Amino acid sequence: MLKNAFLTLVALAIAIGGGGGSVWYALKAQDGVGAIRIGQWTAFPEIGTQAADPYSKARVAREGVLALGRAEGLSFIAERDAGGDQLRRECAYTIEGSFPTARFWTLYAADQSLGVVDTDKPRLAALQSYQVLRQPDNSVIITVGNRPAPGNWLLTDGFGRMYFVLTFYDTPIASSTGLSDVTLPRIVKAGCNA
Amino acid sequence: MRKLLHTVLLGLLGAGIVHIVVLMLVPEFSERDAWSRLAMASDLYKMTRLDAEAGGAPVVKSVDPLFYAAACRFDLAEGMVRVKAPGNVPFWSVSVYDRSGHNLYSFNDHSATGGVLDTVVLTPAQMIDVRRELPEELQGAIFVEAPIEEGIFVIRSFVPDDSWKPVVSQFLEQSSCQLQDY
Repeated sequence: MLKNAFLTLVALAIAIGGGGGSVWYALKAQDGVGAIRIGQWTAFPEIGTQAADPYSKARVAREGVLALGRAEGLSFIAERDAGGDQLRRECAYTIEGSFPTARFWTLYAADQSLGVVDTDKPRLAALQSYQVLRQPDNSVIITVGNRPAPGNWLLTDGFGRMYFVLTFYDTPIASSTGLSDVTLPRIVKAGCNA
Repeated sequence: MRKLLHTVLLGLLGAGIVHIVVLMLVPEFSERDAWSRLAMASDLYKMTRLDAEAGGAPVVKSVDPLFYAAACRFDLAEGMVRVKAPGNVPFWSVSVYDRSGHNLYSFNDHSATGGVLDTVVLTPAQMIDVRRELPEELQGAIFVEAPIEEGIFVIRSFVPDDSWKPVVSQFLEQSSCQLQDY
């Protein structure tokens, strides 16, 4: 009798613990259902719409996100460099390549909660397309790090994990058909201040 | 031993069911969704800044650091809502969300007459009433039909550099979100 009660308890514990835990894990992972990956960049074009999958809907409700609409823009998030390593705030990176058509774009370095990283300096860890210098072929080279660099410099500082968030505003790629042949810039690690 | 295996299998099956149930219930019972956060910050029909610039922590997450944003909550059951904002800024875009934060409709300054933000959110039934006789003052407005009652209206505006901060702040401060009499 006692044994049966114990087994029931174990089954219930696995069910509730496993079920709840797996939901929590699935909602925390940056990568998920409905994600579109281009190089190191991930976007969720469906997030925040009625057509989104249950995981995206739960994430929206849990984090209080108000996702950008189709006519507003589309955000891409990168958590790894071209070598497959996680992005770190203490490392320097080069972001280079061409950017898809958009009225303008913004790029910022983000912490775990996807807010802009705090650099303790007046300069924001963000860049936008009207202020960048371009190469003759219209591509852009951005140096990321805590040391000032010539050309386009994105300031980051501190330690720990980092994400890049690249958002295109008023862009045709936000409609799902436009996403098929988009290329995004590469993120290459230049060195670490370890 | 066999009994234990049976128990574990039963537990895993239960975990699958719990996973699905919890996933479905999160949006229903979340107290951290955008609506609840805004409700804690301000009343219905009141434009509230979402970015941290206005003081305090940002109300709603995932706002671009180079953007300022403001939002108001409305209830179409009380009547249609009109949102206006004066002034010229480099870029603005707006979105209408339903109670659970789904984006229903969005447009940007290129869609508006002369780039001026003047829009009315209303239900299809209210739209039929308005169509019958369009008031003079609503001639230039953009009508957004939304089959909802409670909803959120968000204005986002681009801040290219520091010199634009006061202009964009003023644009959002002067925006209004009002019940429109008809």
